[in-house]
Amino acid sequence: MPFTRINSKMVEAAVVPGQRVFSQRGAMLAYRGRVAFTPSITGGQGGVMSMIGRRVANEATPLMTVEGSGSAMFGHGGHHIHTVDLTGETLYVEADRLLAFDGSLRQGTMFMGSQGGVMGVIRGQVTGQGLFTTTLAGKGSVAFMAHGGVVELPITASGPVHVDPQAYVAHRGDVRNRLTAALGWREMVGRGSGEAFQLELSGNGTVYVQASEEKL
Amino acid sequence: MANFRLQGTRVLAVDLAGDAVKAKNGAMVAYDGEMTFKKMTGGGEGLRGLVTRRITGESMAVMEVRGHGTCYFADRATEINLVRLDGGKLFVEASNLLVTEPSLRTGTTFTGLRGASQGNGLFTTTVEGTGQAAIMSDGPAIVLRVSAQTPLVVDPGAYVAHTGGLRQQLQTAVGWRTLVGEGSGESFQLRFEGEGLVYVQPSERVTVGGQL
Repeated sequence: MPFTRINSKMVEAAVVPGQRVFSQRGAMLAYRGRVAFTPSITGGQGGVMSMIGRRVANEATPLMTVEGSGSAMFGHGGHHIHTVDLTGETLYVEADRLLAFDGSLRQGTMFMGSQGGVMGVIRGQVTGQGLFTTTLAGKGSVAFMAHGGVVELPITASGPVHVDPQAYVAHRGDVRNRLTAALGWREMVGRGSGEAFQLELSGNGTVYVQASEEKL
Repeated sequence: MANFRLQGTRVLAVDLAGDAVKAKNGAMVAYDGEMTFKKMTGGGEGLRGLVTRRITGESMAVMEVRGHGTCYFADRATEINLVRLDGGKLFVEASNLLVTEPSLRTGTTFTGLRGASQGNGLFTTTVEGTGQAAIMSDGPAIVLRVSAQTPLVVDPGAYVAHTGGLRQQLQTAVGWRTLVGEGSGESFQLRFEGEGLVYVQPSERVTVGGQL
């Protein structure tokens, strides 16, 4: 069920009987019809084992289940909201940036250190994001937040896209990411360009980049 | 020639084909192709630039971005405005200058008391020559024309930049009400006279004047 953008900072999700929507707890702004909001103790999909996985990975942002018949409007902190309709591919996004997603999507966590070895581990430190990221796969809609709106940059076989780790929001598709360092002596003596680390994304897919280098 | 394209209002895409642009340090958010980032010194080039930087404190941290491909710039989700200069001069606070074409020269000018009231120091950055510059504003900026018949008065905290042959003057309306804390909150104003354009943002920086 695709989410409808009301404006850049609000989305509306249709709530249909028999289908669940998950949203960040407290992100409901308004609703129409008969809609119930219940805290999701397991923090989303996949039962207790997935919950433990998310807790360990520190990707357990409190979620709630939205059920009933009608529609619900979501927004949070005045952040810009971007919606993505997945058609079978996987979306990689930090849990705290997730606003709402279809219950039909499979939710998982991924260890980012598994891509790019040691630099993968450093990535979490540099970006201020953890070592893990949340994955959503299947068919359905996702709404996530960004500071100041996002641009979508296509990643194609013709060449990688480089992103400032602080401006990186999410990516989807069959994409490998690798942290690259341009550390030279200039960076060490504090005269660097300020672009010492970059995320290199290659493969086939899309990366979402926010117009800011600030965390949410 | 570097090609400037706005992606929405908050992200600037610059197409480069082996040439370079000057950008605010750390303002790159993404790129494709091959890019190199080199730290430069702002506030003018050469020894004179060095001295003015030291004295004025208008030390803009700039980097040179050179390469083939597209480089995307953004800073703290502020709105980006493109300014085309045809031999004219742009006055802008260093903190509001995002990207300039290499054909443009940057320098520093004394602004007098105005800067102090804005909380921006006594000096401002100038951009001169022919080419494009991208400046930032907190919220979408409006461009107001100043002509000989119609001078313009702007809140120092909402002033972003100006071009053209403008004289600027700080006017104060500090009276006894201000001193006892009953002022209108508009004690300081910037008055522009002459011919030119002034960029005004829909937001007010915290300034000394703003508190009075």
